[in-house]
Amino acid sequence: MAVASLPHQQTEHVEGGVDRFYEETRDLRLTGFLFFLFSDVVLFSAFIFAYLYLRNSGQSWPPPGIARLDVAFAAWNSVVLFGSGATMHYALENWKHGNFNKYAGFLIATIVLGIAFLGGQAYEYTHLYFVDKISWAGSGIFGASFFTLTGMHGFHVAVGVVYLTVLLLQSVHGVYTKEKHFGLTAGTLYWHFVDIIWVVLFSIFYLI
Amino acid sequence: MTGSMIANFERAGAIAGGIVVFFVSAVALKNDWKTPGLDNQFFKIMLALLAFGALIALLAGAHVLGNFGKAA
Repeated sequence: MAVASLPHQQTEHVEGGVDRFYEETRDLRLTGFLFFLFSDVVLFSAFIFAYLYLRNSGQSWPPPGIARLDVAFAAWNSVVLFGSGATMHYALENWKHGNFNKYAGFLIATIVLGIAFLGGQAYEYTHLYFVDKISWAGSGIFGASFFTLTGMHGFHVAVGVVYLTVLLLQSVHGVYTKEKHFGLTAGTLYWHFVDIIWVVLFSIFYLI
Repeated sequence: MTGSMIANFERAGAIAGGIVVFFVSAVALKNDWKTPGLDNQFFKIMLALLAFGALIALLAGAHVLGNFGKAA
């Protein structure tokens, strides 16, 4: 009995080293991934607009009894995350140009900077909880919105760190080639996405 | 090390890092400016926003932007 093979297992698409199936479906995959990112934008937007509405409903901000956030540390930690966006961009560029060692170096730097950002966020949470006595459940709208939004973003960064680590392992094991590397493109898009969300969160919590 | 010294160190790091990331993002954007393809258009938008993010982080580090809040 013949067993049907999945499209990605079929080899008759490859002509002269060019995988027609990959070329034809690449834009579809990209569109699907962009829809996924857009759904995440909607998720964050809902929480961000709820926060802004609640913030503007009050008489003062931060509410009385709540300490102001540490802008200096947040700016430093933000630069760490934004720097990881730049290294991720150069990781992909080096992959496209066939420089595997530089690609691996930039990707590892991205992962390390992502972990450093998460470490900084953990330090900030600890400081807020134990020194400034700000918590998710005990500090009203301010604590609830701050920890929900930054925690949700931190979760995305943690997922991104795992994602990039998997991409690194896959590329070491030859899953991607110079021509076929949609996974790396998607990983770069995802990492830029978490960077851009942080630009918004940094602005609304620490700057305005 | 006192709290203000740590804050100054963090601000200096934010300014220096912000300048580096801003210029690296701007150069990457310039180099990719004419690249075709849907994914590259998104990369360009994201690089521009990344440069903007680095700029506001360095301005926050330099005390130009900050948590001004809303007075009662």
